[in-house]
Amino acid sequence: MRRAGAARASLWAGIAAILLMLYLPLLPPVLFSIAPEHAGEGPVTLRWYGEIWESELLSGAIATSLEAGAIVAVVTPVLSLAAAMAIRELRMPRLLLLLVLLPLFVPGVSMGLATAFFFRILGIAPSLVTIAMVQTLWALPFATLVVLTAMSSFDPVYLEAAYMAGANRWRAFRDIELPLIRPGISGAATFSLILSFNETIRTSIVQGPLNTVQTYIWSTYREVGLSPSLYALMTLLIAVTFALVGAYLLRAPREA
Amino acid sequence: MSVAAWGRRAFLLLPAAFVTLFLILPLAFTFLVSFWKRSMLGMRPGFVFANYAEFLTGTRLTVLGRSFVISAEATLIGLLIAYPIAYFLARKVRPRATRLVLLLFTVPFLVNYIIRTFAWTYLLGRTGPVNALLIAAGLTRGPVDWLLFSPFSVLIGMISSYMPFMIFPLWISIAGIDRRLIEASWMLGAPPARTFLRVALPLSLPGIFAAVIFSFVGCFGESAVPVILGGVGYQLIGNEITSTLDVLNYPLAAAMSSVVTAAMLALIGVWYLAFDLRSFLGKILSRRSSP
Repeated sequence: MRRAGAARASLWAGIAAILLMLYLPLLPPVLFSIAPEHAGEGPVTLRWYGEIWESELLSGAIATSLEAGAIVAVVTPVLSLAAAMAIRELRMPRLLLLLVLLPLFVPGVSMGLATAFFFRILGIAPSLVTIAMVQTLWALPFATLVVLTAMSSFDPVYLEAAYMAGANRWRAFRDIELPLIRPGISGAATFSLILSFNETIRTSIVQGPLNTVQTYIWSTYREVGLSPSLYALMTLLIAVTFALVGAYLLRAPREA
Repeated sequence: MSVAAWGRRAFLLLPAAFVTLFLILPLAFTFLVSFWKRSMLGMRPGFVFANYAEFLTGTRLTVLGRSFVISAEATLIGLLIAYPIAYFLARKVRPRATRLVLLLFTVPFLVNYIIRTFAWTYLLGRTGPVNALLIAAGLTRGPVDWLLFSPFSVLIGMISSYMPFMIFPLWISIAGIDRRLIEASWMLGAPPARTFLRVALPLSLPGIFAAVIFSFVGCFGESAVPVILGGVGYQLIGNEITSTLDVLNYPLAAAMSSVVTAAMLALIGVWYLAFDLRSFLGKILSRRSSP
């Protein structure tokens, strides 16, 4: 068995190397965001974080990100719950599944372009609504998969029991199934919020005059390049993402 | 049916209606626009092939070919990395450790890939840590220039953006394989390699397809990575679309986008016809109810 052990160890080493390659790119933005401009400022500085709050453009972008995130985190779990229930109950589950997963496979630029054309034809001006719509579309497949996973550990026998005890479908769902799959729904909300905060390309095509934090970073990069305050923003986004994942794990330890 | 039953049915069909209205119709409309004519302030309806002609002749055809090759490379390398990891996690590792490793792969995927891609410009740069390491190891005398702003760095960016997510469909479909089928193959005397090639690999095809479509189509239409890591003038179809949008040539952008969409539809069509999509979700959909 020594050879099998060695193979195992080398596979674990490979996984560790790949993970290192994925986590390494998270470090430079953090380091650059606290690097002082002049030697006299001491080892680290927080002035770039201070500059974020002084720029009106940026506080506007943060507000837009929060507003869009809030809408996406409320709408997507509801839609994904409906999708998961439809896949379970309606005929043609394969087609429904394909429809709901489709946004995952459409490249960002094609999705952004198509929705932008469509809104234009319908006469809907780019706004918070169009941003939230595109981000909901993007988050839907992920949220649905999370809800489906939660539902797979729910035994429908409980529903039968509720029906026999005289409950109607709504009552059985609200009192029996919903409490049991709640971790899945809060997981879907967390995922949707994270995906909303981290979306760039789709949003940048339908954003109109508004900016989210991500599209601000992207357009500033394209116009003038990277700067310490952009790194500070990226660090904030990385921190928020980690915090949301952590909060979700703490609330639903068994679902990790 | 009662009002409540109608209401319930409407609720269940809401997501399908949402995707149809805000994604499928817009994609179909984009296809229509790709035959329109360009005008001073955007576009006007028509039926011309000029946009496709403009796209499929000259330098843009090179861009299409380059996008295809680099997407295929990134997908193949991604698959060669992700498949062994997924197989190992699904079949050789205890569930607790599996969950932890999958979580570790989820977190960097959730952080916007554009932020992660920016970091590569530092890591692979002339004065970056990778070059410093190569020089310190004595492998090269001066900094290596082709690490950054080259097809190599674009490939690295594509793989690190799309590979992490490939692990999930692969893991789901491998974990869903009935262990008894593999044991039966052993008992019939097939060596491990043959068992893998004839039993496990074919049964994980739905997951492989899902991972390949996600990565290939994603890379094919990728518009940020080539801008950040490709260097000046490096064009793939994705950033060609955005720069065409910047000069307000909407019909041409629509034509290029439709080519990407067509590639996606072809792949998804094969996937849908060849496999039951539910089978790739395996365990997730295993328990079905019919109240």
